[in-house]
Amino acid sequence: MRYAFFPGCVAKGTCPELYQSTYKVAEKLGMELVELTEATCCGAGVMQAKNTELTDAYTARTFALAEEKGLDTVVTICSTCQGYMDPANKTLKEDSEHLARINSHLSDGGHQYKGGVQVKHLMWVLSEGQELENLKGKVQKNLNGLKVAPFYGCQILRPTYALGYEDPEKPSSMERIIAALGGQAVDYRCKTRCCGFPIILENEKAALRMTGRSLLDAKENDAQCVVTPCPLCHLNLDIYQKKAEKEIGAKLNMPVLHLSQLVGLALGISAKELQLPKHFVSSSQVVSAVGA
Amino acid sequence: MAMEEEVFSHDLLIVGAGLAGMRAAIAAGEGLDVAIVSKLHPVRSHSGAAQGGIAASLGNSDEEDSWETHMFDTVKGSDYLGDQDAIEMMVKDAPGVIYELEHMGCVFTRMDDGRVAQRRFGGHSKPRACFAADWTGHTILQVLYEQIMKRRVRVYEEWYMVSLIVRDNVCRGIVAYDIDQGKLCVIRAKAVLFATGGYGRAFKITSNAHANSGDGIIATYRAGIPLEDMEFVQFHPTGLWRQGILVSEGARGEGAYILNNDGERFMTNYAPEMMELAPRDLTSRAIQTEINEGRGIGGQDYVYIDLRHLGKERILERLPQIHDLAYDFTGVDCFEEPIPIQPTAHYSMGGIPCTMEGQVTCDPGNTPIKGFFAAGECSCVSVHGANRLGTNSLLEAVVFGRRAGTAASEYAKGEVLPELPDDANQPAREEIEWVLNNQGSESVMAIKDDLQTSMMENCGIFRTEEQLKSQLATISKLRERFSKVKIDDKGRRFNTDLIGALELSRLLEFSDIIVTGAVARQECRGSHYRTDHPKRDDENWLKHTLAYRTDDGPRLEYKPVTITTYQPEERKY
Amino acid sequence: MAEVRFNIYRLNPETGGDGRFQEYKVECEKGDTVLDCLNKIKGEQDGTVTYRMSCRSAICGSCAMRICGHTRLACSTQVSGLLEIYEEITLEPLQNFPVIKDLVVDMKAYWEKIEAIMPYMVPDAGEPVPEKERLQSPEQFDTVFEVATCIRCSACVSDCTSLEADDKFLAPAALAKSFRFAGDSRDAADKERLTELVKEGGIWDCVRCYECTQVCPKDVRPAEHIIQLREKALNNQMEKSVGARHVLGFMESVGHSGQLDEGKLPMFAVKNIGAKISMVPIGIKMFLKGKLPLKHKPIPGAEDVQRIYKKLEGE
Repeated sequence: MRYAFFPGCVAKGTCPELYQSTYKVAEKLGMELVELTEATCCGAGVMQAKNTELTDAYTARTFALAEEKGLDTVVTICSTCQGYMDPANKTLKEDSEHLARINSHLSDGGHQYKGGVQVKHLMWVLSEGQELENLKGKVQKNLNGLKVAPFYGCQILRPTYALGYEDPEKPSSMERIIAALGGQAVDYRCKTRCCGFPIILENEKAALRMTGRSLLDAKENDAQCVVTPCPLCHLNLDIYQKKAEKEIGAKLNMPVLHLSQLVGLALGISAKELQLPKHFVSSSQVVSAVGA
Repeated sequence: MAMEEEVFSHDLLIVGAGLAGMRAAIAAGEGLDVAIVSKLHPVRSHSGAAQGGIAASLGNSDEEDSWETHMFDTVKGSDYLGDQDAIEMMVKDAPGVIYELEHMGCVFTRMDDGRVAQRRFGGHSKPRACFAADWTGHTILQVLYEQIMKRRVRVYEEWYMVSLIVRDNVCRGIVAYDIDQGKLCVIRAKAVLFATGGYGRAFKITSNAHANSGDGIIATYRAGIPLEDMEFVQFHPTGLWRQGILVSEGARGEGAYILNNDGERFMTNYAPEMMELAPRDLTSRAIQTEINEGRGIGGQDYVYIDLRHLGKERILERLPQIHDLAYDFTGVDCFEEPIPIQPTAHYSMGGIPCTMEGQVTCDPGNTPIKGFFAAGECSCVSVHGANRLGTNSLLEAVVFGRRAGTAASEYAKGEVLPELPDDANQPAREEIEWVLNNQGSESVMAIKDDLQTSMMENCGIFRTEEQLKSQLATISKLRERFSKVKIDDKGRRFNTDLIGALELSRLLEFSDIIVTGAVARQECRGSHYRTDHPKRDDENWLKHTLAYRTDDGPRLEYKPVTITTYQPEERKY
Repeated sequence: MAEVRFNIYRLNPETGGDGRFQEYKVECEKGDTVLDCLNKIKGEQDGTVTYRMSCRSAICGSCAMRICGHTRLACSTQVSGLLEIYEEITLEPLQNFPVIKDLVVDMKAYWEKIEAIMPYMVPDAGEPVPEKERLQSPEQFDTVFEVATCIRCSACVSDCTSLEADDKFLAPAALAKSFRFAGDSRDAADKERLTELVKEGGIWDCVRCYECTQVCPKDVRPAEHIIQLREKALNNQMEKSVGARHVLGFMESVGHSGQLDEGKLPMFAVKNIGAKISMVPIGIKMFLKGKLPLKHKPIPGAEDVQRIYKKLEGE
């Protein structure tokens, strides 16, 4: 399958390991990712507070770039990108007046969005149908019952009216992937809570409490690692983990993997190629448990 | 349980924090120590459940509307039992109180030119219901509470008023129970104003909240003051089947149909001109007749209200709450399917007798109880007579809440705090201790359930002497059972088991009054329909009932209806 | 239907101690709501089980509680729907509130926060009060109608992530209530209100997790209205808070190069020198791990992005 690929700012910035491991995984799975190199940031819900006309225009432009390449599915690897581009796409498709107005902003650049694109997080792509079967068939290093705590966070689940892919009360896409890889998904209350990232600059203490609480919950439910579909969650859960430990007064030492990295390990890609050493919290125990 | 006593005092004490109570508090103005006692937090009051609108002849949708037309519609709707001087006052005040609410910040659905939109409602000959989609009561309730917060009015929230202190025709305060702390307290006041709501909870199928247990009405009655026209209980035509939850008349105002099992708009047989927008008494009887004669859906006890032809956009704009309620409570998507409905006990026309200024009176000669005022559904001014028109209840609550609040504060300004009798809290204390300590075997829930089921069967839309008399006997048995009631919770803090028993005692007592009044009234008028006396009888019954408490049950007296402009005529719609 | 297991949180303030769960079994019928079952439990099995309720038609907001881990109204939650996901039904009091007894919580803090946001309309004092209604277009009504349907049940506050982490946060109900006025064409106190709202604990402390919007039984969408308040604050040039500077820095970065300069943004958003310095160790470590690109490169064809930015946002 050929997919338009929208890596988002973080995978090209502070989480380069996500970018690289996604490509490695795609290669193994025979997915062709055509990167939309001219695409802009989704606005991350931050710019939306100032100017939604602008973020809608940027997003429509991204979709137009995919259409121009003859592609109908834009794959994201960030919950935030998904969480803002998906609802914007729904409005563009449903409201023709809105689409026409937004297109009027694009025409000078030679772009027009026709409304024929769907935007889909890699997690959703891999968790269903053919791709899931394909994934199962290509597992080389079965996770051997590794206890993995899926951390969905917020933007890929809520609000239902804007996303609606799965029930935020009982999401299952990551669980399906973990099972396909031979791992064991840990159920814990905080898996759909916020990691705290959006207010890490505004109110660091509160953000760290959120980070710490979620990781502690995973740990108390015997997770050996946390896996997340969102690089922003990853930033807080990994990079800020030490600070979070101090804030909540508990040892965590919880490896946090990007979803692409966990899939990559099971597909037999090396820890080095998946750039696991870039993490602040060592993933070595996970790697040795899997035998990668 | 030992109960500590605390005594508080205020210039004006308002009991109940719905539309009438809060509007009264706002009217009281500055320079007066005003407090509100409410069994619920104010925004939980059942005024918030009113959906469809509030009437006023603003003339925004139809320039030809006038207070005179509004008055005539209301008098006719009341089946001529409404007091016309009071009705005239209410409809003349109406536009002003709407503008006041609007200026306070209340949201109203608008016309394209920015004025308040108005829609049709049952029994009104002009479109005069002002509304905020189908959230009208809620939005007014919120805005009044905003004003209460702004004015920093003291609210004793979750305090249950147990009894009223009246001696020598002077009201001196109330006894109330702080539910959270389990403390019985006397609150002394120069003036007391009741705005405690209605008594619809006596019926199995009802749109009323659990809290609508007639506490104020019974406290008044037990203080020796009669209650007026208690036999008049309005059944709203469209309650969700089995639930009784309100499906606003606004739905029909927007053009919804009522259909029987044959898919027929049967209102053509009952009210060929106004059809679905006939007044509630008539429409409820029509629905019940269809059901009784086997034309309910699938022969069952419901018919349909059909909104589908209004279209999704109109429903979402004007009736969004109906859509959600139907979906959440019956699983019906009203864009696609008709909603199953049946008549539901809705509104209490009767209540505490009072003047247009809310002054409570205690006999046919209107002798006042000094310092005691009432407004809203608990009162009987009477502006609704035997049958209230939709949207007139929110209007009444606001108009008379305001009037009574003003009158009560004027009165309080000229008074000193009245002396309290030594045994002021004795009845309340004894009642609570009795409930807590009674050793019996009867459960509150079982007695309540039997009461509500039997009231529905025997004292509902259609009534006969035989049924009503058997209901009196049933109530007497239920009261006997209540004397053996036992509650599980003997604790002090937040004892809702105790409150439930106190409420049941009130339900039993006012049910007795409703039925006693209904047995006596041998005619059909408004909501009171006697199949054994199928005509209105102006010669003998164009009068208000007054029920006094005696050891042998209610004693009835009557007082004349005030007729100023419109002589009684046959009602046709 | 069948027998359903209810696990109910119990706490008696008179005997004290920690709360515990007590199990009840209820014979449920189709169409039964959680409140129907609670009433059966209280009426038939144990009268001491304590909860608030009144209207039972999803309008009074009394009976919000945590049902199977999420806050909902007991009266409008169908048991059958829960059983599609859960084997038993767990009932707990609202979170983020002190418990009084069983499922009843103390709402004092909730109302104090509402009172703190000037919760009433303030019309322009310079304008004479009109004789009739103030005019408002249908669109202006629509802007505030959604928030006007808040029933103050506190579901949003109970499930609020930010509040759980910091009790100073005003939380979604009070913030949505602010928008009720800030969004109203008849209100003239925007500046006064927003000045308070951009302070610590205000609009910029929301994490945008959308828990509030998700759990709201009336679809009031508090999170969306918090974002509208941010927009209003920015339009009123209230740009000093970290949150506001974060937006402005973000805009500038994306508008210029097409994507976010993650390295630069925190240093721009945070003005406080101490806070800046505290970020340095993490910055250095990120750099050493190869997670902080030294040079931020514009995307190919960034001119088009700049053109759109200029058109829609100005310079």
